[in-house]
Amino acid sequence: MSLSAKRLWGVTLLGLLGILAVYFVAGPARFWLNWVLWFVFLLTLALGSMFMVALEHLVSSRWSVPIRRIPERLSTLLLPLVPVGMIALGAVPVLYPGARPEALANKLLAGKAFWLGLPFFSLRVALCFLAWLLALSVLVKGSLRQDESRDPQFNVRARRFAPLAMAFFGLGITAVAFDWISGLEPEWYSDIFGIYLFAGAFLSALSGTLLMVLHLQGRGRLPEVRRDHLYNLGGFIFAFTVFWAYIGFAQYMLMWYADLPEEVVWYQKRTQGGWLAVVILMGLLHFVIPFFALLTRDAKQAGRRLHWVAWSMLAAHMLDLYWLIFPVLMPNPVLSWPELSFALFFLGGAFLWVRRVRELGADLPVGDAFLKQGLEFRL
Amino acid sequence: MSKPPTFAVLGLFDSADALLHAIPKVREGKLGRLETYTPYPIHGLDEALQLRRSPLAGMVVVMAFLGAIVALAMQGWMSAVDYPVITGGKAPFSWQAFVPIMFELMVLFATFTAGLGMLFLLNRLPFFGHPVLSSRAIQGITRDRFALSVEAEGGSLDPEAATALLSAAGAKDIEVLSLPARAEILDAAFILRALGGIVVACVVAGGLMFAAIKLFPLLPPMSHMQEQAKLNPYKPSHFFKDGHGMQSPVPGTVARGYLPMGPRTPEEANGLVNPLPRTRENLERGREAYTNRCAVCHGPLGDGVPALTAAYNAKPANLVSDEFRKAPDGRYYWAIVMGKNAMPSHAADMPEEDRWASIHYVRVLQRAQNAKDSDLEETKP
Repeated sequence: MSLSAKRLWGVTLLGLLGILAVYFVAGPARFWLNWVLWFVFLLTLALGSMFMVALEHLVSSRWSVPIRRIPERLSTLLLPLVPVGMIALGAVPVLYPGARPEALANKLLAGKAFWLGLPFFSLRVALCFLAWLLALSVLVKGSLRQDESRDPQFNVRARRFAPLAMAFFGLGITAVAFDWISGLEPEWYSDIFGIYLFAGAFLSALSGTLLMVLHLQGRGRLPEVRRDHLYNLGGFIFAFTVFWAYIGFAQYMLMWYADLPEEVVWYQKRTQGGWLAVVILMGLLHFVIPFFALLTRDAKQAGRRLHWVAWSMLAAHMLDLYWLIFPVLMPNPVLSWPELSFALFFLGGAFLWVRRVRELGADLPVGDAFLKQGLEFRL
Repeated sequence: MSKPPTFAVLGLFDSADALLHAIPKVREGKLGRLETYTPYPIHGLDEALQLRRSPLAGMVVVMAFLGAIVALAMQGWMSAVDYPVITGGKAPFSWQAFVPIMFELMVLFATFTAGLGMLFLLNRLPFFGHPVLSSRAIQGITRDRFALSVEAEGGSLDPEAATALLSAAGAKDIEVLSLPARAEILDAAFILRALGGIVVACVVAGGLMFAAIKLFPLLPPMSHMQEQAKLNPYKPSHFFKDGHGMQSPVPGTVARGYLPMGPRTPEEANGLVNPLPRTRENLERGREAYTNRCAVCHGPLGDGVPALTAAYNAKPANLVSDEFRKAPDGRYYWAIVMGKNAMPSHAADMPEEDRWASIHYVRVLQRAQNAKDSDLEETKP
C-alpha cells in the first residue's frame, strides 16, 4: 500500500469536514444512518477478528498460530471504536423508533419500551464494550506480553478464558445485530439475525486477515506462512460464504412462506425499486462469485485470487450492511457525497489505525508454545 | 507349466524419508507404474509419485449441478405444469419453495458420485484379494515399514530388472509378487449359476409373498371378515326386497329444520319477501354467514373481487352492482338454494335463517358501497 500516513491524515480530515457538512446540509437522519453503518462495519471486522483469536485458543488449533498475530492486531480496532460507538448513541433518539416518545403510543412497542429505550440501550452498549475490552486485554495483551516472557502458561490461561470470550462474542454480536440493525424496525424480528451478522463478521475478519498476511508477505515479512496456511484461510472463506447464503436464505424463505405482515414488510422494503438490484449484486458478490472463485483446490492457495476475493468479500459485507440499514429511510439506494465523505473519513481512520498496529508485536507470536507445530502445518 | 506373470515387485524401506528419496531413482527406470504402501499417510508422497489429480472433484461438481437442475425441473414441472395447485396463496412456480429440495438433491447426487465413483470407478472395486495383501511384506507395511512397488502396466514386467532397480535405490527387502490365478472366478458357468440362483430366489420369494398377502387371508377364520352380512358398494343387498341396502324417505318427508321451498321457478321466487326482521342480531348473523359461505368468491365487499378464485379464472357476480341492487330478495334466495352457473347449491349447508340473514347483509354491503353525503347527515345526533 502506497498510502503514506500524511496522505491518510489528509483524507481523514477531508472526510471529517464532509461529514460535518452532512449533518448540517443533508440532515441528521442521513448522518446517523451513515455513522451507524460504518460503526457496525468496523465493529464486525474487529469482533470477527477477536472471534478468530478466541476460536484458536478454544479448540487448541495449531495451524493458525503463525497467523494469529494478524487477527490480534485487527481486533485492536475495538479501541478507537469505543468513542465511535459512544457517538453512535446519538443516533438512537433519531433513528430508533423504540427509543422515541411516540413508541409509548404504539401497542407493540410500548411493552418493549424499557428494553428499547435509550438508558438501557446505552447500558447494553457499555456492557458489551466492557466485556470485549476485557477479552481483548486477556487474549491480545497477554499474547503480546508472551513475545517477551515466552511464558507457556499464557496458552493455558487463554485456553481457560476462551469459552468466556466466546460467550462475550456470541451474546455481543447478537446484541449488535438486534440493537443496532433490527432495532431500526422494532416490529420486525428474526431469531436467526444474530447468526446472519456473525457470518458476515467472520467473513470480513477472515478477509481482513488474509489481506494483511498477503500485504506483509508482499513486503518480505511473514515468510514462514506457506500456501498451506493460506489454503485454510481460503477454505474458511469458501465455507462461510455458503454459511452466509444458507442463513440468509433460511431467514428469507421462512418469512416468505409465512407471509406475516409484520415480518414480510421488512423484505418488501428491501426488494423494491433499486434495492432489488442491490440484493442481486449482493448475492453475486457475497456468494456466487466467491463460491466459484474458490471452488477448486488450487484457487484456495493462489495469493492473487485470494487477494481479490478478500477485497470483494469486504465490499460485499459493506453492501450487506448497507442493504440492512439504509432501506429504513431510503426508498431507493443512495450513493452521493454524504456517503463518500463517510467512506473517506472512516476508511482513512481505519487505515491509519491498521498502519499503526501493523507493527504491534512481532509478526509471529514468537513466544507461543505451539508456534513450531503451527509452522510445521502441512495440508 | 510356465510361471505366472509378475504383478509387482515390492521393495521395503525403513523410513518415510528413504522411501521418498528412492522414488525419483526408481521412476527413472520407467519399468512400470509406481505405487507405495505405507502404514500412515506421508506428506509429499503425492508430489513424489507425480500422481495425476483425481477426476473425482470434477465429476462431483457436474453431478451436484445436475442434481440441483433435476430437482428444479421436477418440482417446477409437478407444481406448475402437471398439477398446478395454489398452496398458501403462492404462485405455482415459486422457486423459493424449491430451493431446499434442490439443495438436498444436489448434496445427494454429489455424495453418491463421490462415494460410488471413488469405490467402483476409480478404485475398481470389487477387487478380490489384492496381491499385496497376501505378500510377506504386508506385516511390515501395516506396522513400521514403507513399501515402494513397481507394478506391471499393460504389458509384462521384468522382475529381475525391477529387483535390481529397487535394490540400487536402497530397498532393504525385495519381494516379487505374481498375479494371482483368478480367472476362473468369473467364468461363464459361475455367472450362469449366479444369475440362475438370483432368478430362483426371486421366484421363491415372490411366490411366498403372494401366498402371504393374497392366499393366507382367504383361509378361515380370516375369511369370516369378508363373508359377514353387510353393505358392499355396487353389490345387491339382502336387507330389503328391492335389493337396496337403504330405502328412500316416504314422499313428502320434511327434514328437521328445513322447510320445503315454496316457489318452483325463479319467477315465482322473485315474489318472496325476506321474513326476518332487520335487527342488529340478524345482521350480525348475516355477516357471519356471508363471511363463511359467500365472501370467498363474491369478496368481502360483495364486489366480486375475491381472494382466491381469480386464479382459477372464475367470474363471480358483483353483488353491489346496479343490477343486483334492484333485484328482489327472492332472486338471491333462489340462487342460494338452487345454485347459479358455477355456484353450487348452498341448500345443504345454509339453514333457512342464514340464507335470509345473509341477504340482509348483502343489502348492507350495497348501501355501504353506494353511500351518499346525506347518509352522514342522518347519523348526526
